[in-house]
Amino acid sequence: MSDQTDVLQGTLDLLIMRTIALEPMHGWAIAQRIQQISNDLLRVQQGSLYPALHRLEHQGWIMADWGASENNRRARFYSLTKAGRKQLAAEVSKWDRLSAGVNLVLKRT
Amino acid sequence: MRLWHMLRSRLRSLFSRDRRESDLQEELHFHLEREADRLAARGMSRDAARLQARRMFGGVDAIKDECRDARGTAFVDDAIRDIVYALRGFRRAPLVAFMVVSTVALGLGLVAAAFTLLNVFLFRVDRVPNVHEMFAVERARNADGDREHFTRVQFDALRRETSVFTDSFAQVRDIDSNVDGHRVSGAFVTGNAFQVLGVPAAMGRALTPADDGPLAERAVMVLSDRGWDRLFARDPAVLSRSLLINRTAFEIVGVMPGGFRGLTPVTPDDYWAPLSLLGQVSPSADGTESVGLDIIGRLKPGVSPQAALTALAAWDAGQPNVSSPPRAASPITLVPKRGTAEQPLEAVAVTAPLFFAFGLILLIGCANVANLLLARGVARQREIGIRLSLGASRRRVVRQLLTENLLLALAAAAAGFAISRVVLSTIVNGLTASLPPDIGDIRLLVPDADWRVLLFLVTGAVASTIAFALVPALQATRIEPLRTIRGEVVRDARPGRARNVLIGLQVCASALLLISAAVFLRSALTATEDDPGMRISDTVIVRITSEPARAAIVESLAAESSVAAVAASWPNIAGELRPAVAKSYDRTAAVACRFVSPEYFKVLDIGLVRGRTFAADERSPTLPVAVVSEATAHALWPNGDAVGQVVRFDRDQTPDTTKANGPQLESRTLTVVGVVRDVPGFRLAPFPTAVVYEPTSSQMAGTSLVARVHGDPELARQAISNRLTAIDPNLGEVESLRWVSKMQTYFLQLGFWFTVVLGGLALALTVSGLFGVLSYLVEQRRREIGIRIALGATRPHVMRLVVSQSIGPVSAGLLIGGGSAAGLAAVLLATPGAAPIGEVVHVLDPLAYAMSALVIIAASMAAALIPAARAARLDPTQTLRQD
Repeated sequence: MSDQTDVLQGTLDLLIMRTIALEPMHGWAIAQRIQQISNDLLRVQQGSLYPALHRLEHQGWIMADWGASENNRRARFYSLTKAGRKQLAAEVSKWDRLSAGVNLVLKRT
Repeated sequence: MRLWHMLRSRLRSLFSRDRRESDLQEELHFHLEREADRLAARGMSRDAARLQARRMFGGVDAIKDECRDARGTAFVDDAIRDIVYALRGFRRAPLVAFMVVSTVALGLGLVAAAFTLLNVFLFRVDRVPNVHEMFAVERARNADGDREHFTRVQFDALRRETSVFTDSFAQVRDIDSNVDGHRVSGAFVTGNAFQVLGVPAAMGRALTPADDGPLAERAVMVLSDRGWDRLFARDPAVLSRSLLINRTAFEIVGVMPGGFRGLTPVTPDDYWAPLSLLGQVSPSADGTESVGLDIIGRLKPGVSPQAALTALAAWDAGQPNVSSPPRAASPITLVPKRGTAEQPLEAVAVTAPLFFAFGLILLIGCANVANLLLARGVARQREIGIRLSLGASRRRVVRQLLTENLLLALAAAAAGFAISRVVLSTIVNGLTASLPPDIGDIRLLVPDADWRVLLFLVTGAVASTIAFALVPALQATRIEPLRTIRGEVVRDARPGRARNVLIGLQVCASALLLISAAVFLRSALTATEDDPGMRISDTVIVRITSEPARAAIVESLAAESSVAAVAASWPNIAGELRPAVAKSYDRTAAVACRFVSPEYFKVLDIGLVRGRTFAADERSPTLPVAVVSEATAHALWPNGDAVGQVVRFDRDQTPDTTKANGPQLESRTLTVVGVVRDVPGFRLAPFPTAVVYEPTSSQMAGTSLVARVHGDPELARQAISNRLTAIDPNLGEVESLRWVSKMQTYFLQLGFWFTVVLGGLALALTVSGLFGVLSYLVEQRRREIGIRIALGATRPHVMRLVVSQSIGPVSAGLLIGGGSAAGLAAVLLATPGAAPIGEVVHVLDPLAYAMSALVIIAASMAAALIPAARAARLDPTQTLRQD
């Protein structure tokens, strides 16, 4: 548990959009999924998740609909919009470039 | 798509706030439950799992706030919440909100009333298309302050020979005539005036050049909206009627729209008529060739006023100099003509005392508000402390306070508007109702408020509430939440010094107003005791405006049963006397000439000192006899008897004397036959005392008649008026001399009422403020006073303790107020233009100062005594047992 890292600022949006690109999800599940997929390496601050979701919705990248959760309760499911998919692709390539660059720098020195 | 989505989300979040809030609530709730489920599945107890989920999540309300912020609707949300919160606060303490709104509204309403007047003079342009193109061509004032006008010939030349104007017209304004006992004023304009102005008639048609031409068949006029209202009571069939002015029937061909004032600032003339008909209405303007004209032109688009002025000056330099004796004409100026005051500074000067007095009331009211809020500061500190410790940011709290004050300000502005309308109509109605009827039918109008007045009100309200309500509240946010919740007052919440300064300020302002009131009252009282030196109680003046009817008027007056005796005078009693230089064999004196009939001295009861007055047959201005006043006799023959002496008369060389009509003053030699008492006249309108009387008769053109009447002078005045109306409905101005003297007391009384109402208001506000502060202090010091009483302080001692709180600020305020009143008076007396006021109003009347000081001290003591008595009645055991 101790080697968990808080999600880097600015990457939360990217992670959220990547996570819901496959299927619509509610907020709790998004947080869980990020943690799972990263093999518990990344921990989403739950407090910052919801403001991020609302901001993304407000920007029009994602949209929300009420649906039934896995335990049959009413939950708010987020999914990517068309604009969101474009944005995701752009963000992913931006991130690739950034991390490749950072990696190169780190390996040289 | 994205845009649409955003728009929808934004709109939805704006309009379905409740649903959005419940959605957010449900979403976060679901998250917490789901997290608790997960933890419970790992073997935690249900309650522990819930608690753990919450802990991991963080502050729910803060996250909710962040979510709202993320949506970008927080601003509107917060505003709505702030407004609701503020309204709830007002409901909880309605008296405070009412106090703030009503005091600010009262002061602001008064100031707004003054601004409405100023607005009329300064900012309200006339409803003329492209009014900024209108300019008057004028000559600069000469050294005597007179302005030379243009002649018809010059106007025609200007129109023909210059090309800076699209077109220009000439006019003569303010031609007064009498119609059915009403004074009616008219403007005489060249026929193209309305084409130049570009204003069509609201009804009928405007004047055309044909109406003004030599071939015009009938006399026509257009009425202003005011004239239509005043003279025809808005008769819709007015176009078929006509107006008889000095025996000329003018056919009414049109009525101008209500907003149009003919480029004058306040109210237009009653009618406009062609310039060519001026001679028929105004007997003094014999022939339109000589009358002085104002020239107004519409500047060509693209021509700058400077370029136009240069062109006009060049044109003027080429004009033949026609003045006799020839002297250099003053240079030409171009003055914007927009229907606003031509001397804006004068308008400001006229309204400045209003602003000053009303502003004082606003200041006193705001001081009350500030005092109230300072006193409430403790309660407010606790409330704000709780909000801060619950996690509200200082910015949010300040925004909330701003919203609260803005609401108060808007309410105050709305109430202030209503008050300003009431104040203005009260002033106007009061003036109209109390004006002596002889001054005539000046019908004042309540000036309209426009957007500038509203802007002024809102700005004023916001400024005053922010200055006096927000600052104390802002200070309250600079606190330590924890201690204030516990009720500890952290910062000095009893700013005794600020409060004392405010009270001192209020007393100072009240003193200033009350001293003015007392000064006016004393002056009005002494003015009624003034002896004008002549009999005024039953004297009636008849002015003859039409010479052809003179014989009939004199005859009719003599036949009137209520008339005891008739005398003639030139100029009329209150008219300006003609200056002259009188010489005895060794001395010279500046004197004034008055031509009177032999009955004059008897009718007006001017006592004879020596010699005789004119004999019954001495009625001709050519007779070489004169009666002099004591002052003249003293100046010319200080050591000897004036009777029988010879006086040489020289015409005063000022050019004005040649213009006026009436008997001409030629240089000649007269023999003094008698000396009469001086006639000092009225305080507002003093007469020159050094007078030389010369004989004349009521048959002489230009003389006015003075009649001594039996019985009620007002009834006699009406009887005479009726008789003269029978001769010619347009003739005869009849006024009783008693009213002339009443006029001066009227103005002083007006000043008195104005300042006494304001001073009373100021004092009431001050007293209520003082009362509130002392009551609050007593409340705050209950414990201390209780202990004092328990330790043996007597009741007088406790009362003295409370009352002494007010002595310092009240006496300081009195001193400063009295000092500034005296200072203002000194400035007034030192100002050359205002110095004559000092002779009418005794601005440094010590009794007035003492009286107002007494009133203020008595009122302050009364305000202090009630809280003091309450403090003295405190039961020590009870107060000590509390808290």
